[in-house]
Amino acid sequence: MIEELFDIERIAYRNSPIHRLDARVKVIITVAAILTIVAFPCSAGVYIVGGMIFLYCAGLWAVSGVPPGIYFMRLLLILPFGIFIIIFQIFFENPYFTVFHPVVALPFGVQIFAESVEFASILGVKYLVCVSFVILLSSTTKMQDLLEGAGRLGMPAEFTLVLGMMIRYLFVFAAMFRRIKNALETRCFDAFDSSLPYRYRLRELSYTIGTVFIRSFEQGERTYTSMLCRGYGRGSHLFITKKPLRKGEWLLLGGTIAYFAGTAIGGYALL
Amino acid sequence: MHIPDAFVPLGQSIVYWIIALVFVALALKWARSELDDEKVPLVAVLAAGIFAIQAFNLPVGMGTSGHLVGGALAAIVLGSPFAAVFILTLVLLIQGIIFGDGGLTTMGVNIINMGVIGGFVGYYTYGALKGISGNTYAAAAFAAWLACFVPALAAAIEMAIAGTFPLVPGLMAMGLYHAAIGIIEGVITAGAIYLIANARPDIMEKRAEVAA
Repeated sequence: MIEELFDIERIAYRNSPIHRLDARVKVIITVAAILTIVAFPCSAGVYIVGGMIFLYCAGLWAVSGVPPGIYFMRLLLILPFGIFIIIFQIFFENPYFTVFHPVVALPFGVQIFAESVEFASILGVKYLVCVSFVILLSSTTKMQDLLEGAGRLGMPAEFTLVLGMMIRYLFVFAAMFRRIKNALETRCFDAFDSSLPYRYRLRELSYTIGTVFIRSFEQGERTYTSMLCRGYGRGSHLFITKKPLRKGEWLLLGGTIAYFAGTAIGGYALL
Repeated sequence: MHIPDAFVPLGQSIVYWIIALVFVALALKWARSELDDEKVPLVAVLAAGIFAIQAFNLPVGMGTSGHLVGGALAAIVLGSPFAAVFILTLVLLIQGIIFGDGGLTTMGVNIINMGVIGGFVGYYTYGALKGISGNTYAAAAFAAWLACFVPALAAAIEMAIAGTFPLVPGLMAMGLYHAAIGIIEGVITAGAIYLIANARPDIMEKRAEVAA
């Protein structure tokens, strides 16, 4: 996962109206979209509400000017676990429906129910909307901006400091991971090469992982010492300047929340 | 094992979030009081390292691959289950918000599974087994296996409560898969601890005193 860190951050450094939006606005929009779709009852109304919210996400993505291919690439990397659960839904009854009609009967008493297929697709829509907004957020917002936004939204100072440290060193360790991977490949080590004894492969991998642990611990010690030298102490925290939202940002935020609420209420009324 | 958004209803997600936040607060308290002075930044940097450790693809056998969670490793080396809670909370936060792995509403439940359950199961199993058998590495391996297996069962139970996956098939699927993945987690954790104990014994020794 850490391999994609540089690519994601590079996309977040592009310039567009969406990229320039304050991180707080984007965070609140993302959370509002996810809350709306997760809270919406598991019924046929999800298709309409999910569709409307997804369209909104697609609109923001279009304005951001990031190629759609990047969205699909990132989606492909995220989906497998959720899709696995969603696909298996069709074989099971669920508590959201009372009557189940089998549509296909397979050997060994396995059945596919019409209601389960419907539940699976409802879950699929909800999942897709949530994931799409997270992809949009991280593709248009730098990590440092996200951190400062979280701080301005009231995340405790203890957390912004710790999270800030972690984010900074994520990139250091992403680069370290790449170097270690290259070093292993240069020496023709492949963890999945079955011609090598399994025991040998495990030993090399565990020593590599142990080394990364020690290196990160030592990096932590050095960082901590250098922070002490610069006056770090119990009261230290990340300095975040105050930054009022612009009028346009307020408007977008209010409009978006009204749109989500309206869509949800409309979808509910249609049920 | 990362439960995504929409797989747990909002009401239940909030309950899990509250429980998770209690443990996160306890972990922060641990980091401030138990780690010498104010070594919180050290754990933050280590969390970034654990993120890199999770990136290594490990051969599980029969063509499948897995990766380390690292909670048991952190808890055993740093000598406290709260180390796992602290580190995995940070890791899950980044995974959820930047990479879209795991959700925002379900982050609480994921912190409980991998951080709290994984950390506590891993740490206390290690402590108990080491006391009984005296073999550090066998204890660490079994503890790490359990710290992978039990959270997977917990995730299956939570999804059954949420009504998004039936209990028995969920327990079977998640249990079997993670029992297999857990073996490699156990072996690699034991190997890594062997290396750390030999290369930097002070890290382990110092933490052992803290634990006592």
